[in-house]
Amino acid sequence: MSATRERLSAALEGLAYEFEAPLDGMTTLALEREVLREVCLRLKQRAGFEGNTLVTAVDHFPAEPRFEVVYQFLSFQHNDRVRLRVRLREADAAVPTITDLWPGTSFSERECFDMFGIRFDGHPDLRRLLMPQGYEHHPLRKDFPHHGIEPDRLYRTWDKERRKEWEAAR
Amino acid sequence: MGSLNPVESGGDLGFLATRVDFLVNWGRKNSLWPMPLGLSCCGIELMAMIGPKFDLARFGAEAARFSPRQCDLLVVAGTLTWKMATAVRTIYDQMPDPKWVIAMGVCSSSGGMYDSYAVVQGVDSILPVDVYVPGCPPRPDAVIDAIIKLQKKIEREDPLGRLLHGPVEKADTGSGQLVFQPNEGVLKSSLDRHAHDPESRSAGVPLGTLIAERPRGHTEVRP
Repeated sequence: MSATRERLSAALEGLAYEFEAPLDGMTTLALEREVLREVCLRLKQRAGFEGNTLVTAVDHFPAEPRFEVVYQFLSFQHNDRVRLRVRLREADAAVPTITDLWPGTSFSERECFDMFGIRFDGHPDLRRLLMPQGYEHHPLRKDFPHHGIEPDRLYRTWDKERRKEWEAAR
Repeated sequence: MGSLNPVESGGDLGFLATRVDFLVNWGRKNSLWPMPLGLSCCGIELMAMIGPKFDLARFGAEAARFSPRQCDLLVVAGTLTWKMATAVRTIYDQMPDPKWVIAMGVCSSSGGMYDSYAVVQGVDSILPVDVYVPGCPPRPDAVIDAIIKLQKKIEREDPLGRLLHGPVEKADTGSGQLVFQPNEGVLKSSLDRHAHDPESRSAGVPLGTLIAERPRGHTEVRP
């Protein structure tokens, strides 16, 4: 057992999780969303992972559970990284937010919400990040056509928004 | 085409008009002021073209202005996304008439390799384009060639006729309104529809079909 695993096992004592061995060699934990916040809190406070580097998702359409939210954390003091994976069903694609622990994850979570339609419960400002507000689709889902849906409508929406901003700035 | 030498015969009004046409076109084609719109890697080649090695000043088009009010040549250099498209269209609308557009590189000509929901499949979807330059990115020589071709096109224009008889009927003369002209030439697959789109079900691909099991019909042309 590596030093990373020992440190994690000690920090996460009593919580339900599983070690995985991905091909890239990064220490990976698979867990349920019920324990996600507790795991994140202990990673930060006990295992020395000060930084979050990534919040994203993977779409396994049409498999079920369909989504997999991926978190990666960085420890400066141990020069170490860890990855968390949470599987979600399409009907209930929501995880608790971790923006109160790492405020920088706010934009990552917004992007993930925009691109995959995964809700981050408790996020203070869960708006779309890249696509216009009011857009109905989530482009990185596997069933989204890669030519897009009505790009001209998208264009008009953006145009309306931008012109509104310009008018307000004037 | 006339020349700048003094003329010995002729003398009616129509003749005078031709001469002014020539002079105006000569002035316009040799003092193109480009609006450099470097949207991606093509912008680097655009800078090289304006710089000393390729020296666009030889063709009178080196005065790149960063205000559209002072420009008459829009060089769309690079990948145009739908999000950027409204800004580009506004820049085009702000340019004073007469104005010309060069689509530099495959991305702005046709979408290029970005066969994506986010990328405009050719800037001619939102702008009237005069010259298309292929290449990824095109060499500065290719863009200079496009500028020479544009100069030849300007030579053939009829500025005075426009003044006397009103503007020529064009698909889009920069009215300030956004005109979307869908590019029908873009190849699309019948599978490229949303799973919740009723037409995609009629296309015979049931919801939940594995991506690997779907037939590959990418080069199919939609009727």
